[in-house]
Amino acid sequence: MNNPFAGDNSSIQRRETLARWLLRLGSYVVVALTVSIFLFITVKGLPHALKPGFLTELTSTLHVIESNDGQVFKTNPVEADVIKKQLGDNFRSEKTISYSGGGILGPIVGTALLVIVSVTVALFLGVCCAIYLSEYAKKGKFLETVRLAILNLAGVPSVVFGLFGLGAFVLTAPVLTDAPADRAIFVIPLFFTNLSFQGWDTCVLSGGFTLAFVILPVIITASEQCLQAVPQGFRETSMALGATRWQTIWRSVLPFATPGILTSTILGIARAAGETAPIMFTAALAFKDKLPWQKDLPPLPADAGMFAHWEQSVQRFLGVFTESVQALPYHIYTLAAKIPQNEYSEQAQYGSVFVFLILVASLAATSIWLRIHLRKKYKW
Amino acid sequence: MPEVSPTPPGTLGSKILRRGRRTVLGMDPQKLIKNFFGANSSIAIIVLVLIMVFLLREGAGFLSTYHHELETYRKAGLEFCDIADTPLKQQQTMASSLRRALSIEMEPLVKTARERRDAAFLFKRAHDEQNSDGTATFDASPLFTPEEKNQLKAELAALAPESTDLPATLQKLAGEFATKDREAKTKFKTIIEAEETFEEAAEPVAEILDELKTHATETKEAANEFHTLEAGRQQLLAAAASASGSEKADLLKEAELSKVEEPKYAERVETLLEKREDLVKALGDYVTAVEEAAKSLQSSSTHPEAAQLIASVEKAIPTHLADIQKASKDLAAWKWDEPVSFFRAVSSFAFGTGWITNSSWQDFYGVLPLLTGSLLISFVALFIATPISVTAAIYTNQFASEREKELIKPVIEFIQAIPSVVLGFIGIAVVGDLIKGFSQWEFLSWIPGFPIQERLNIFNAGFLLAFMAVPTMFSLSEDALNNVPRAYSEASDALGATKLQTVFRVIVPAAISGILSAILLGLGRVIGETMVVLLVAGNRIAIPDFSDGLGAIFQPAHTLTGIIAQELGEVSRGSSHWQALFMVGILLFVISLSVNWCARTIAKRFEHPKA
Repeated sequence: MNNPFAGDNSSIQRRETLARWLLRLGSYVVVALTVSIFLFITVKGLPHALKPGFLTELTSTLHVIESNDGQVFKTNPVEADVIKKQLGDNFRSEKTISYSGGGILGPIVGTALLVIVSVTVALFLGVCCAIYLSEYAKKGKFLETVRLAILNLAGVPSVVFGLFGLGAFVLTAPVLTDAPADRAIFVIPLFFTNLSFQGWDTCVLSGGFTLAFVILPVIITASEQCLQAVPQGFRETSMALGATRWQTIWRSVLPFATPGILTSTILGIARAAGETAPIMFTAALAFKDKLPWQKDLPPLPADAGMFAHWEQSVQRFLGVFTESVQALPYHIYTLAAKIPQNEYSEQAQYGSVFVFLILVASLAATSIWLRIHLRKKYKW
Repeated sequence: MPEVSPTPPGTLGSKILRRGRRTVLGMDPQKLIKNFFGANSSIAIIVLVLIMVFLLREGAGFLSTYHHELETYRKAGLEFCDIADTPLKQQQTMASSLRRALSIEMEPLVKTARERRDAAFLFKRAHDEQNSDGTATFDASPLFTPEEKNQLKAELAALAPESTDLPATLQKLAGEFATKDREAKTKFKTIIEAEETFEEAAEPVAEILDELKTHATETKEAANEFHTLEAGRQQLLAAAASASGSEKADLLKEAELSKVEEPKYAERVETLLEKREDLVKALGDYVTAVEEAAKSLQSSSTHPEAAQLIASVEKAIPTHLADIQKASKDLAAWKWDEPVSFFRAVSSFAFGTGWITNSSWQDFYGVLPLLTGSLLISFVALFIATPISVTAAIYTNQFASEREKELIKPVIEFIQAIPSVVLGFIGIAVVGDLIKGFSQWEFLSWIPGFPIQERLNIFNAGFLLAFMAVPTMFSLSEDALNNVPRAYSEASDALGATKLQTVFRVIVPAAISGILSAILLGLGRVIGETMVVLLVAGNRIAIPDFSDGLGAIFQPAHTLTGIIAQELGEVSRGSSHWQALFMVGILLFVISLSVNWCARTIAKRFEHPKA
């Protein structure tokens, strides 16, 4: 039997099909580009990233030594001298390529520290702001201004955040110190020390706080959506049972919104890890031969008490946040733009880009997957 | 949400209840919690204000510093030299295109002779070094007949090892080239002479100018030193005012010691002014000489490319001469003590065509080349991103099946997570070479600007930024399409419209305001992007040359964001350069705010009624 709804293959219908395919093509061009970028980086970068030590060693200068009989040695500065001695007359040439040797442990650790600081700060501020917007705020001038500010904050260029971080955290933020620096804007004397507005210098803390404000709008918007998604009935039920507003929020709104908030936080982490411009002047360093916690502290006397040991551990822990670090995006920038390009620097570049992309991409993918999953789980 | 009404006051019960509550600053815990969150919610406003405050604190001093620098620039007489020097710079580019035209003309005449000579000499060196590769190249060379090759080999073999004499064949070849060269030079005598007169004409002017420039630079250095010392002295005095006793006396003494004389501008400028007449006269001579040279240039040339070069020079000469004559007038009217208006500092920043830093002559902070770069890149990016993301949004929202949606949406969202520095790296490593490769294809040569010279250029950066802008524009456009009331499409369907008609005549027009604001927000994202443009745009600080029409997009450029990222790390705090970079930051901040404002206004203006 003929299908009465089948197309009649008229010109109108052909036009419809053509247009549909054109539109489809536009969408799949983007998909294809994304996939091909990903594949390209994987193919080029995977072999270098799998090299032993790439993920577990610190960055160093790469020495490439050629001998007269055609052997090529790729080593670090220390071993280069040994090899040169061994080769003796057989030595032909040596090339040094900055930042391209060793691994990328330093940048990975630095990025992790920056992300921890920024997400902690942004999550606290962002969720508090979202709770107010979703649970307390009433329509009015204040609410409108807040929303406008959040929108505008999301549009501020990241390099402007970098300038802000430099001016605010690196040069002005308050520190507790016995000896205020000359550049401090003003000093508030406390009983045992001074609160001096002289800035934190370039360090993890400055960079982390700067990044926190970059991702703040993302976190606020996402958290508010999650809070709004909790059905109104939950709140009304809780109120009807005589709970206060805060009890309601704490017991019957937040528990249901938390998974969603954390999910979107992962997206914030990916964003914070990927930004370069805000940390350029606030935290990042092109080269460092130590991990942040490998700091030379004066050795304790043999009879030092528990308290002294404890104090030094705390000092070591805090020291991690008051030092500048290498960071993956800045490392890639250094490799790509600040050193002469050759085959050896290219290997380091593709390796780092691959690791970086995998890190960020897996974060983003987790977030997207979790969100779809959660949406299916919480259906009310 | 219903408000919990407070317990009515006055009753006994409420009083008992109240006794149990602790209050801080007159607020019970519930109120405290509410206010805590309220305070937190203003964080976005506070941050925006703080950004402005800190940008202004570091950058606000710029205009007065720059104004002061421009004042010194005038007083020390640097401006005087530049009046004559700037138009003379055109002369150098013109002379170089004349030289190029000349070499193009002469090339066909002397080419064979020169190549023969060079090949023979190369062979001689290869023979001396007993390099077999060189011999092989020579044997394969089509420039010589076999007899010649054999003869040269025989001569070289006969040559004594240490001898410095040249074999006869080589001498002959050198002679041949010299003859050809002479012939060519006679043939193009007019052009050569014109070129020489043209170049020589500027020499007397340049001589006077060099002398004046050295003098002016000395004055400027003295002035700068004076200002540094004077600033230090003022600080000492300020410290002395707040100190007391012997410390005060010490500080005052120190301040007294560091006192220096301000350079006597009037006296120093006198030296420049003495030469003013000479300079004006030299410029006059220059004009006559160039006019003379221009006349003999008109001889017809044979080679099309050379003819084009010469024609362009001929066309440029009248404006050039007009510039020079204007410069002579300006020189005559120039006064060293004329005050520099504050407006000049502002306009020199906003409309200045040069961003020149770390120069030994004079630093200029003109933001125009950077702004042009930023805008051009953004427009290229929008031009590419708009059709793609709007198409994708329409398709995903209106046509795609659920399964397709589940593929397209996450992938496009995923683009947002690709760090910009990775995209910049891809631009350097892949896209640059790809574009350059494409541009060399014969059948694409109709595109203006092809074949391109630079791998890293505006188009490359724009392409990658388009990719970055797609997620923003896609998801916002999709939201806009989603928000079109269902009744619209249902009504259209009921009238018998096909799907395509419904989409393009009903749904898209209804969502157009949302789509427009999506495009604008995409623009905001693109204009503020840093790493991609820093890595890929080529970083040449110059306004692109629009004489080639659209080809300008294949030239390198620098951007507002890129310049901050590149230069801020290397300048000392508080210098005029530092302040200038913060001014650029303020400009970016203002641009991003106004783009946002426009997007909101558009979205509001055409809002359709909620169904």
